[in-house]
Amino acid sequence: MTPATSPTTFALLTPEIILVIAALAVFLGGAFAGLRAGWLVALGGIVAALFVATVAAPADGVSGPLTIDGFSGFVRWLVLLLGALVALVQAGDGFRRAVLREAQPYQSTAEEAGVFLLLVAGLSLAAVANDLVLLFTGLELVSIPTAILLGLKRTDAAGQEAGLKYFFLSLVASSLFLYGVVCLYGIGGSTEMATIGARLRSAEPGTVVIGAALVPLAAGLILAGAAFRLAAFPLHFYAPDVYQGTSPGNAALLSTLPKVAGVIVLLRLAGLAIGPVAGAPVGYAATATLDLLWPAAAVLAAVSMTIGNVMALGQTNLRRLLACSSIAHAGYLLVGIAATAALGSSAATGGAAPGGAISGGGATLFYLATYAVATIGVFAALTYLGHRWPVWSATVPRPPREEASTIADLDGLSATNPIVAFAIAVCLLSLAGIPPLPGFWGKLSLVTSALEVDAGGWSPRRLAFVALAVTLVINAAIAAAYYLRIIAAIYFRSTDRGVQSDGGVGAGVGMIACLVLVGLFTIHPQGLFRAARRAGGAVLGARSTAGAPTLSSPVSAVATVAVDAAAAPEPRLP
Amino acid sequence: MNGFSTATLLILTVVAPLVGAVVAWGMASRGPHAVRQSALVTALVTLGLVAILVLRGLADPALRSGGAFAVSTVPWFTDGPFDVRLSLGLDGLSLWMFALSSLLTVTAVLVSWNSVREHVAAFYALLLLLEAAMLGVFAARDVILFYVCFEFTLVPLFFLIGIWGHEERRRAAVTFFLYTLAGSVLSFVGLLAIVVWNASHTGQLTFDIAALTAGVRAHPLPMDGTGGWLQWLVFLALLAGFAIKVPIIPFHTWLPLAHVEAPTGGSVDLAGVLLKLGIYGFLRFSLPMLPEASAVAAPWLFALGAVGIVYGALVALVQTDLKRLVAYSSVSHMGYIVMGLFALEPTAVEGANLQLVNHGLSAAGLFALVGMIYERFHTRSIPNLGGLAARAPWLTTMFVLFTFASIGLPGLNGFAGEFLILAGSFQRAWQGVAAEWRPAYLLLAAGAVAGLVLGAWYMLWAVERVFFGTERRAADSHGHAATGAMHAAHADHGGRSHDGVFAAPAADLEWHEWGAIAPLAVFALWIGLFPGAFLGPASAAVRGVTAAAEERFAERMHLDAPAPPHAAGPHPRAAEPIAMSDPRTAPPAPTAGQR
Repeated sequence: MTPATSPTTFALLTPEIILVIAALAVFLGGAFAGLRAGWLVALGGIVAALFVATVAAPADGVSGPLTIDGFSGFVRWLVLLLGALVALVQAGDGFRRAVLREAQPYQSTAEEAGVFLLLVAGLSLAAVANDLVLLFTGLELVSIPTAILLGLKRTDAAGQEAGLKYFFLSLVASSLFLYGVVCLYGIGGSTEMATIGARLRSAEPGTVVIGAALVPLAAGLILAGAAFRLAAFPLHFYAPDVYQGTSPGNAALLSTLPKVAGVIVLLRLAGLAIGPVAGAPVGYAATATLDLLWPAAAVLAAVSMTIGNVMALGQTNLRRLLACSSIAHAGYLLVGIAATAALGSSAATGGAAPGGAISGGGATLFYLATYAVATIGVFAALTYLGHRWPVWSATVPRPPREEASTIADLDGLSATNPIVAFAIAVCLLSLAGIPPLPGFWGKLSLVTSALEVDAGGWSPRRLAFVALAVTLVINAAIAAAYYLRIIAAIYFRSTDRGVQSDGGVGAGVGMIACLVLVGLFTIHPQGLFRAARRAGGAVLGARSTAGAPTLSSPVSAVATVAVDAAAAPEPRLP
Repeated sequence: MNGFSTATLLILTVVAPLVGAVVAWGMASRGPHAVRQSALVTALVTLGLVAILVLRGLADPALRSGGAFAVSTVPWFTDGPFDVRLSLGLDGLSLWMFALSSLLTVTAVLVSWNSVREHVAAFYALLLLLEAAMLGVFAARDVILFYVCFEFTLVPLFFLIGIWGHEERRRAAVTFFLYTLAGSVLSFVGLLAIVVWNASHTGQLTFDIAALTAGVRAHPLPMDGTGGWLQWLVFLALLAGFAIKVPIIPFHTWLPLAHVEAPTGGSVDLAGVLLKLGIYGFLRFSLPMLPEASAVAAPWLFALGAVGIVYGALVALVQTDLKRLVAYSSVSHMGYIVMGLFALEPTAVEGANLQLVNHGLSAAGLFALVGMIYERFHTRSIPNLGGLAARAPWLTTMFVLFTFASIGLPGLNGFAGEFLILAGSFQRAWQGVAAEWRPAYLLLAAGAVAGLVLGAWYMLWAVERVFFGTERRAADSHGHAATGAMHAAHADHGGRSHDGVFAAPAADLEWHEWGAIAPLAVFALWIGLFPGAFLGPASAAVRGVTAAAEERFAERMHLDAPAPPHAAGPHPRAAEPIAMSDPRTAPPAPTAGQR
């Protein structure tokens, strides 16, 4: 039974309401008042929402179609943070178009900013959804604005192709997901997640029949829908074309926010099956879900990361290369999902691992955050660079400027733009997982969670996860090859071109912000790690108890550093 | 200095180069000389701190009994059972390598004094960053802190090679990085597998090395099919990273390229310290934590070590590039260390541990001197050099000294280490293996002795061709008469010596070059004359980490050693104090209840 909607429900939605109001303001202002600074308003709206979500963190609970817990709090915080960063980068995009008025007709960017605000609101809604209908609505509010943004940003043929390709494929993915949701409804008899979860886990004989028929369909279709959002195999193939065809700002969006959506869906699904009480008797349907989810996610993970990295090795176009790399990172995220499902199912059967399923869920969320910040940093830097001046002499007419889009375009960047060069290098090394950068901490937690599956004994499943962990680290080494190629171009080659940066101040600020965040997570990964683990614990059953402080955001977690350090326990006796 | 506890001192020592790196970077606007001076000050301050630490450590009874001193720990990446700590400490295993890292950084700073002229601030900042990482590796008491520093050494070196290296620098930097990364990510999984295995028995995901060593002694990783041969898999995973780092013979292909193309300062650190990380990894992780697998693998690694000695020496023999020759001599000499380690015989293992420092001194000294020769004559090609003794007598003297140290002349450090390794290996071959293994072991040990002869051959021959004999025309930095070789040599240097912008270096050693070389020479003599002073403090710790593997090896060889029946329970050895465990964190001995 869905809990009643009350005025509290709307109070809980304050961040999303702020976003929608800002979106409306941008739309109206752009149409009637000639508003040009759409992205600034968007940024203000997102920051206001972030402030509200951080400061006024509500108590855990369920209200109407919403569920407020550590998970939704963390994901909402993450979405708003990433949204703010992407908005900064996108602002750079718009600025650049203004600069290049001679090349392309200038269009108001107000609609873009408004659409983007709706996208962020949708993703934020998906994070708090306790109802399948709201979840689906939230996800549609992500995919439709994404397609619009892809179409608006570029008017050339490649840009239009990218927009159309993404639009049609996202329709297919949404319908796959919707079919999966319908099957879940068939199992649970309700659209409310807690009810579905209880039904999945119930040991009544009837669920066996329902589960056998519907669980594979539900889990498989939902996984397929999520694979598209994550850009994971087998629905990964659009990524290289779309990334290459669109602007760096849109690529920053595509490589992060839809991935958050995919992770929300998969962790919620696993959470339904695992249930709130560890070790409680579990029905057939829940076990079947987990036992279908972990091998499927493991296979998709292994294939995605290998395909992505191998495809990236030969690329020369930066956005295409990063698209392949984002496929690989989807694979890494799926390792965490697979470990979550496997650890959850072994917790259900009694063989609990030290960290339980929280290990997997927390690792996935943590990795998502570290990956997203570094990726947005790279795209922000590319946006900031904008166009390169080709070599020309005074005697011939100046050739048109070319967009900085290939690895060769970055040659000698360390001499012309040292700060941008440093930012790109740090973000790429983080993506490669070189310690002590955040990407390393992310991979550490992912590999640990994979190795925790059946850690005490030996089983085919353990073998599978050990193989998955080895695949992951070997892929990390393969990935280092193409990341290093870029860094080598930046630092080891020289160029005769001058300083370049016509991409706008916004992208520059976004780049610096990402660099600062990467630095923060390098020096003190613990705040984010703890928040991510609490979030993973919340979605996977370990409801936060009254006594434990709920860290709804890493910001407050960071604030507790001093306290932690002061209260550091003595070296623990093993 | 009473104001600081030893633990605080250690933290300061590891942090000092980081601060120095920032300072050197900040000095960029004040010109290259200020940068150099600030880097030198940092390196010397760090060295001074290390000296105080070493003196305090030697006075600390914990060190002699195999324990750790200067222990400190702070939570770092912790939530619930997941517990990564910033945990530092030194023991007999790490003390000398820790000290060597800081000594060689002074050398690296000084040899780069005049040879690095571009992006000086970045160069010294990276060099000091590298020092911090090297100190961190040896001081780490936490698996993840170890791995972070282990891996992070790659980043500064990548840039040092790629920006300031020689002609093939780009390829060398990328090859070096990827090759070592590919191995060490597998080590990473192996280390995590040990952690998770331990956690499945204790419920705590602890990353503390001492706790893990104790934990896997109590619950050894399974070596049979029912446990999935986990110990074997983990051993191979660790081997992948450490063998590439050392390098053990089929995995050595990255080494000559990286060593030759690196700038002199990079080569010094690379050969002096970074190669040792692999051996240190074996000592710290493989042998104490995976004794059964180590015992099974020992004969094969012993053999690979011996093959490496001979192979490296033979390849060195035919080199015409002096730096490449020294690089291959490293392959050969690291073979001795591998062999000594996997002889699993106390004398040989202690010799191998000492030889880590010895080779660090002599290889670093030789690379520094080769760099000085290159700075003067713009060639490293042996046929183009000759008769340098007349022009640079002190440089020649030093080169000959380090050559003697390298080939193991009695009275110098190389002799002490290699003698112990060979003595231990023969001991193992005569008395320590089953009869059917004996011929093979004897053959391999004899091969290692032959390697000594080859080593003397290629080094002395090179010395003869470079420093003595007739003076070649190319050995002339002032451009009087240029031969074809001279043209080639200058072409690859951009003809810089002719344009008069940079003063040609003096014919013989300058003050900073003395500063780089003399301390190494002093220690080479010191260790050569008084090896006991260096063996003693390390002995207990080395015995602690290898004892278990030695026992397993003896059991495998069905020796009649008075070993108690194995079926009675965990081996009594397990109750002995283990490395890196100080009294506060040492777990109760696993067999305590049964005795």
